[in-house]
Amino acid sequence: MVFNSLTFAAFFAFVLFVHALPLSWTTRKVNLLLLSYLFYCAWNPAFVVLLWISTVVDWFAAQKLVRAEGQASRHTWMMLSVVVNLGMLLYFKYGGFLLANFATAMTAIGIHYQPAPTDIVLPVGISFYTFATMSYTLDVYFRRAVPARNFLDYALFVTFFPHLVAGPIMRPTELVPQFEQPRRGSAEQLRFGLALMTLGLFNKVVLADSFLSGAADKIFNDTAAPGLVDAWIGTLAFSGQIFCDFAGYSTIAIGAAMCLGFAMPDNFRFPYAAVGFSDFWRRWHITLSSWLRDYLYIPLGGNRHGEARAYLALMGTMLIGGLWHGANWTFVAWGGLHGLYLSIERLLRERLAGFRPGPFAMFGAALITYLMINITWVFFRASSFAKAWEVLRGMVGANRGAAPVLSGYELLYVALIITGIVAAHWVMRARTLEAVVARTHPLLVSLVWSLMAFAVVISQGNGNAFIYFQF
Amino acid sequence: MRSSTSSSEKIRPILGLRLTASDRPGVAQPVPERDIPGQPWRLITGVSAVLFVLLVGGWEWHWRSFGSQPATENSNGLWARERRRIDTGDGRNTVVVGDSRMLFDFDLDTWQRLSAERPIQLAIEGTSGLFVLEDLAKDPHFKGRILVGVAPQVFFLGFGFRADVVKYYHKDTPSQRVGQWLAMHTVDRLFGFYNADFALGTVLRRQDWWPARAGVPTVKEVRKLSVSAPDRNTEMWSKVVDDAAYRSLVQSIWAQRFGPLDAEGKAKLEESVRKQIERAVVVVAKLRARGIPLIFVRPPSAGAYAEYERRDFPRANTWDALLAKTGVPGVNYEDYPDMQGYSIPEWSHMAAFEKPHFTTALYGAIARQNPEFLARKPAP
Repeated sequence: MVFNSLTFAAFFAFVLFVHALPLSWTTRKVNLLLLSYLFYCAWNPAFVVLLWISTVVDWFAAQKLVRAEGQASRHTWMMLSVVVNLGMLLYFKYGGFLLANFATAMTAIGIHYQPAPTDIVLPVGISFYTFATMSYTLDVYFRRAVPARNFLDYALFVTFFPHLVAGPIMRPTELVPQFEQPRRGSAEQLRFGLALMTLGLFNKVVLADSFLSGAADKIFNDTAAPGLVDAWIGTLAFSGQIFCDFAGYSTIAIGAAMCLGFAMPDNFRFPYAAVGFSDFWRRWHITLSSWLRDYLYIPLGGNRHGEARAYLALMGTMLIGGLWHGANWTFVAWGGLHGLYLSIERLLRERLAGFRPGPFAMFGAALITYLMINITWVFFRASSFAKAWEVLRGMVGANRGAAPVLSGYELLYVALIITGIVAAHWVMRARTLEAVVARTHPLLVSLVWSLMAFAVVISQGNGNAFIYFQF
Repeated sequence: MRSSTSSSEKIRPILGLRLTASDRPGVAQPVPERDIPGQPWRLITGVSAVLFVLLVGGWEWHWRSFGSQPATENSNGLWARERRRIDTGDGRNTVVVGDSRMLFDFDLDTWQRLSAERPIQLAIEGTSGLFVLEDLAKDPHFKGRILVGVAPQVFFLGFGFRADVVKYYHKDTPSQRVGQWLAMHTVDRLFGFYNADFALGTVLRRQDWWPARAGVPTVKEVRKLSVSAPDRNTEMWSKVVDDAAYRSLVQSIWAQRFGPLDAEGKAKLEESVRKQIERAVVVVAKLRARGIPLIFVRPPSAGAYAEYERRDFPRANTWDALLAKTGVPGVNYEDYPDMQGYSIPEWSHMAAFEKPHFTTALYGAIARQNPEFLARKPAP
């Protein structure tokens, strides 16, 4: 079920009603759990089995792990969780990709091998909930957390519908304690939560789907090589689309949870105002980047074993982070490019340790960061390296004689919206939305809220899936 | 517990922002804090709701003034809903496939009155019927008979404007089915603006005041032409008949296609016609092997559209060749006096009041020429 659908509107109204009934806290949690399963089944009922497997395996692994006496035993229970979760992920998400690469490798050494088409369907949200359940076992393994007191709270942590299929990737310590005490959204939480959901829907339905996706699709789906202007505008449009799509989803998720009385963490902090790439990753998909840092980069050694090892850990983490997004080498290249950027930045930071840039230099550095991020988006959006190179060649003006693709209307609105997004991020880079709303006149808040809701309704979004559903 | 981070991995929080996991490496993350801005939220919600209702009301008034009334949106979900009837008990019915002419011109009510059976309307605008035929050929549930609409340009160029609807049907989720049902029982019944043609992005894109870009051709998109019932019984929108300016706009949109072809264009067209006929031969053979009868139907066109079709899609090379190579019988309006002289306001589709006449004439032609098509017992 996608948030931008009539089905979700009806579902959410029902959830609010059921959650407000004067029932015991345990009954209300059971209701939330069952409704979350219903939310998942609305996409494909069969795949709820995978969700159960992931839930049950990590519950038992953590229970056994905490009672295990030797390190080897603890290690074994932790590995059970990792193998089962990554095994499911490997099969469903990377099965076809691995097989295709194996066939290519065989061909390269002269053995002709043509695997039968696998036609494996990717279960929606599998990348998100496997990471959430693994974090439960790994936190217990690293002794950062104790297991949940009861299975219901734990199962609800894994399945809670606002974060189930596209994050934010919750940690057990963030959500399980919220299930221990009775919660019901207050009237203020309900109203502000609905306002957040409207903001998220505006980002997704109006900006991402109605305006930005068209120009990006024309450039990246078209067979013709784009010229300088088209290549840049198409890529900038995608940078806006992916932000509005995913940040929109996260905002709706946070708002939905708030309406029910629960708190979810920020997943984005105005990332296009980042100065440098480590700053970008502290602002973009925060729950994934911090997950990769805590469960991959640090266990790989982080920066505790010398410079060379730190660079290797950084690059390894970013390459795997790239692959997490999809079974395609272009995603690996995207992650690798970010790893390279981060490595260069790390090197520069050591060399320029005493340098303190002024406000203009900061703004300039933010713009350069944004432009460099756009180069990485080319690999993220292109379906093949051939297409990525074609667009990159266009971005440096090397596709001479390329026919114009985008209309004057598309050039104008993409330029306007992207300028607006980058300017808004810059203004908000050290603020929270809540702080700004608190200082705004109530009538202006009402006007903006109603205009966003109006724009959502008249845009008539046709329930397009969020981009991150495919990951 | 030993910290797993070194001192250099300690992160300085971003001033002014809430702490997140990015500021707390290698530790258990605490319950997030979310503050509610200090504002009179009851007042804000009330004012927002009133403004929202006024804005939506104004938008609805605008489109009602334009001539739009609440109607079922001809969405992918609606098509999938009708397509599913084949899998759920109506697999022996007559199925109508083809493009917008078969969609607008064929009347389900009239056919039902004549044959005592309500067909399943699966024709899709701007889309060759071959896409749906190829899907039906693979469906063991389907044991009925098929009327295949052929508008020369769409069929012989293999247009697939909404061909993805077939894929949508196969991947339709329970959530999408519920959403379709909800739309049919709420927004479709309430709002005249609820139509893809009146979506914000579409409306803005179609304005004349945008700067033109040299080298990018200005193409006028096809406008809203029809209204549909919940079973996709579709007819021409009355505005096309009643509003001369709108009708002229539609004609000017069709006229964009009528330019003369150069030698390369002609060669491509001939190649396309050959390929589409080959495609038809293959799919017809599959359907016939399963005992499924078909009839090709060529609904009428008029004016400049008909001239263009005669020029670029001469009957001998297209329609006649299709019938000869597939061995499927056909009903071409040009051969039947009672299928001519209809009101075809924008040259391509007939006015709503003509639908029953055309369908009656079509039924009569099939009854005279291919009575076995109507009398046949469904395949076991």
